[in-house]
Amino acid sequence: MARAVFGRSEHATPVVVLDRDRRLVETARRDPAQFDALYRKYLPQVYAFALYELANHHAAEDATERTFLRALAALPRFREQARPEDGPEASTFRVWLFRIARNVIANERRTQRRQPAASLDAALGAGLSIADATDVEGGAVLRDEAATALRAVRALPDDRRRAVLLRFVDEMSTAEIAGVLGKSEGAVRVLIHRALGSVARELGASAGRRGGHS
Amino acid sequence: MTSPYLSGPDALAGVDALVTDRYLDALLAAAERGASATPADTALDEDLRDASDVIRRSLVRVHPSFRFEERLAGRLADMAQESGPARAGSVIAFRPREAAVPADPLLVAILEGTLDPADADAVARAEGARSLTRPLIVGGALTSAAISLVGVALVAWRASHASTRTARERPDGVLAANGAGGHA
Repeated sequence: MARAVFGRSEHATPVVVLDRDRRLVETARRDPAQFDALYRKYLPQVYAFALYELANHHAAEDATERTFLRALAALPRFREQARPEDGPEASTFRVWLFRIARNVIANERRTQRRQPAASLDAALGAGLSIADATDVEGGAVLRDEAATALRAVRALPDDRRRAVLLRFVDEMSTAEIAGVLGKSEGAVRVLIHRALGSVARELGASAGRRGGHS
Repeated sequence: MTSPYLSGPDALAGVDALVTDRYLDALLAAAERGASATPADTALDEDLRDASDVIRRSLVRVHPSFRFEERLAGRLADMAQESGPARAGSVIAFRPREAAVPADPLLVAILEGTLDPADADAVARAEGARSLTRPLIVGGALTSAAISLVGVALVAWRASHASTRTARERPDGVLAANGAGGHA
């Protein structure tokens, strides 16, 4: 949780909104072995982002590994840039970490383009376990919807797709996503709004096809 | 950072996007609380609400395998040990750990502080330049643009201790290069 700190020096008494990870970051800077706490905290988020971006377990693990190794290597030069408008839950370390992840993943995607596209459904092992096992028909519809939504998200332009993943999978605020993507908050909101419109159209078309078959 | 002000079609979409954003805040907060019902917001188009809900349910949380988590934790611990505040001349236990992925060729530049891994343009340039570089021989081991951290420590130590015995001659470990200000 971010805290307000009131300086007591004889100079100005600025109110500083702290990065919620500041303590962990400072500890890791003093002793790099303590980076483990930050690693354990953000591993699932970074891995999930990589998996949805790359649709391949091995590529996601590779990207996750590079992200954390690069973060540890660059930690001495990390600059906290928390702003009051980032909100009490903002973590600039998380934003910084995801900027690193985005760069690693972007390079991996460039490499992937030369290889056959993987199926995200398969990569997740139909981890779309959202269906009620007792409702076979309803479950099938939900799985179909989920598969359609995943395909639609995956087909989005890069920035829209990244914004949606960061919002839904990593539950980042608009301000944090703006920091990761290097865009304004307004631009991020528009990216997500338009992405949802694209997915909604795909879902509507898919439902129409299902209706036509029944 | 780009301008906080939208223009053209983006400006027109900005108001709708704000409504969508508020809805997503409520939707994700409800999910966090474990609430089964989705928030009712008649201000937002029904198709967008449905799409938001489907995406929220479809983009399930995923976690890497425990094996991967521990292996990477080990690699980070090794790297922390090598880059940590070791005293000059102290011996670091050398535990060769086989990397599951090729070593990151940009890691050396990041460690040196000449490459910011959060800078997209700088990273893209470095990745592009890397594809043009030739393999490099370090300490007798061929590395295709990938240098192990131990190798970096060894090269740094040898550079500053040219007349002394090399770390390779020591059977049980390598010398810490960090902070080695000329004293062995």
